[in-house]
Amino acid sequence: MTIPAAPTPTRIASAHQSGRPKVRVVGLSFGGILVSELIKLWTLRSTVWCCAIVLALAFGIGLLAAGFAGSQPGTIPGAAQQSQAVTVATIGVIFGQLVLSVLGVLVISGEYGTGMIRSTLAAVPKRIPALLGKAIVLAVTSLALGLVTIYGTALLQLPFLSNAGIHTNFADPKLNLALLGGVAYLALIALMSFGIGAIIRNSAGGIATALGLLLVLPTVLQIFAAVTRATWVQNVAEFLPTNAGGHLFTYASTASTSVAGVISLNATEGGLVLVAWAAVAIVVAALLLRRRDA
Amino acid sequence: MIEATGLTKRYGSKTAVDGIDFAVRPGLVTGFLGPNGAGKSTTMRLIVGLDRPTAGTVTLNGQRYADLKSPLHEVGVLLDAKAVHTGRSAYNHLRAIAATHRIGRRRVDEVIALTGLESVARKRVGGFSLGMGQRLGIATALLGDPGILILDEPVNGLDPEGVIWVRQLARHLAKEGRTIFLSSHLMSEMAQTADQIIVLGRGRIIADAPVADILAQATGTAVRVRTPDAARLAQLLHRPPEVTVTQSAPDLIEVNGLASSQIGEIAATSQIVLHELTPVTGSLEDAYLALTQDEVEYHAGGTLEGAAQ
Repeated sequence: MTIPAAPTPTRIASAHQSGRPKVRVVGLSFGGILVSELIKLWTLRSTVWCCAIVLALAFGIGLLAAGFAGSQPGTIPGAAQQSQAVTVATIGVIFGQLVLSVLGVLVISGEYGTGMIRSTLAAVPKRIPALLGKAIVLAVTSLALGLVTIYGTALLQLPFLSNAGIHTNFADPKLNLALLGGVAYLALIALMSFGIGAIIRNSAGGIATALGLLLVLPTVLQIFAAVTRATWVQNVAEFLPTNAGGHLFTYASTASTSVAGVISLNATEGGLVLVAWAAVAIVVAALLLRRRDA
Repeated sequence: MIEATGLTKRYGSKTAVDGIDFAVRPGLVTGFLGPNGAGKSTTMRLIVGLDRPTAGTVTLNGQRYADLKSPLHEVGVLLDAKAVHTGRSAYNHLRAIAATHRIGRRRVDEVIALTGLESVARKRVGGFSLGMGQRLGIATALLGDPGILILDEPVNGLDPEGVIWVRQLARHLAKEGRTIFLSSHLMSEMAQTADQIIVLGRGRIIADAPVADILAQATGTAVRVRTPDAARLAQLLHRPPEVTVTQSAPDLIEVNGLASSQIGEIAATSQIVLHELTPVTGSLEDAYLALTQDEVEYHAGGTLEGAAQ
């Protein structure tokens, strides 16, 4: 590629009139930081790809599940119908969370990997507003994507499910609570991963850690629990982000129970545990961001 | 105005910047010079708060960088050409950085034109050459039309035309009363651009003086004389005590403290044949090499001088 001729001094002069800034000075503001982070998020191909993959996976798997259910016609009691509807509408969340987790890590680790973080922190030297701006933009994006994904899946599934005798009732507040719980789950997983990415500051390491927490650790604990039959292992597993957060999109999951010492969280408790995971990750990231050299 | 007092940065046991004091004044181009690893980049990172000083302070117009109300409008900074996400286009990069300070698209287009990036502005930065990356970094620094400009190795990777452009830009902006602080490891480049030079070696300031002074120091009054009668001439020249004569070959001497005309006259009266009589003017490069001789941390040849200490 070739570069056009460098501008002559006269062009420089026209752009820099002696001393007085030609730019209207508004200054650094949190609103400006949010706009900046929104531009940054949506001017990368990885964001577009991640969102497309989340939608494609959710719709594809959702339709497959609904089609399978529809091929087995039957009669199901009312409450169980709603519960089934939630299960198939949120079936894509399991896969979508992995993609959003990767996106959450990349939003910050990509800046460290490329050196962009130095430009970001030179523009926002107090640092924490830049971190919060990123978190807010990521949360809003994940919530919007989650809404489209989960409600879109539920709507696409309607004709198949009615074949199976499942009549999704969107007027049912408990159904909406569970579907919105799925939306919140996706956003919280993205935020927790963002915190992990900001702590580790490296894409490969951040993604490995986040996915390890979401995929590997629950499986390991499950095997461990099955082998040892120790209740404490089961109780620890219940507080992992996936297990605790999973209660958010379970229909009418109200009862928190403790049968023979094995804890089972309800939707509110599970949701709060996941909020705590995300909050701790981001607070630790913020503390480190203040202290570390960029 | 940039002011550093007792500025120190240690990474573990290694001291990168060792308690330096300096002031970079407005209206001048100040060159920041030193061999690789001298601590120039670290100092610049300390100025804009990317690294936290181990001790000491550095202020910009009396304030710490992090306390500036509107950093981009007060300070423009190019730290290295790679402070850009490779997946984003130059235009979108500038738009995102500008947005933090609500700087409009018109200014973004302006700095793109100013740095000659029009034809590549919509391309992803990952495919940029070093020179184009450098132009984008300068464009980013100019976004807020700042009164202080800090550029780390701005001519690195630029073609000759780009080098001249940066030189003119720096001189022009200084003439407008702005504070311009440029780093380089090339003395010749600084000689043509800077008014004031701060030389750094192994984290310490070796010299902080106007370019003319540093040049004067180096431009001694050495004269190279080639004559078959070198020994006799050396004796004749030795009369005044401030004159020093060094013989580097049987027929070659170097004289300090006498003008070439004086040497010629002395030789003529003593009927000594001269084959050569050359005033040796030291260059800024020589001055720089002399200044930094003991301060170069990484000598070519792979010996690590610091390790022996």
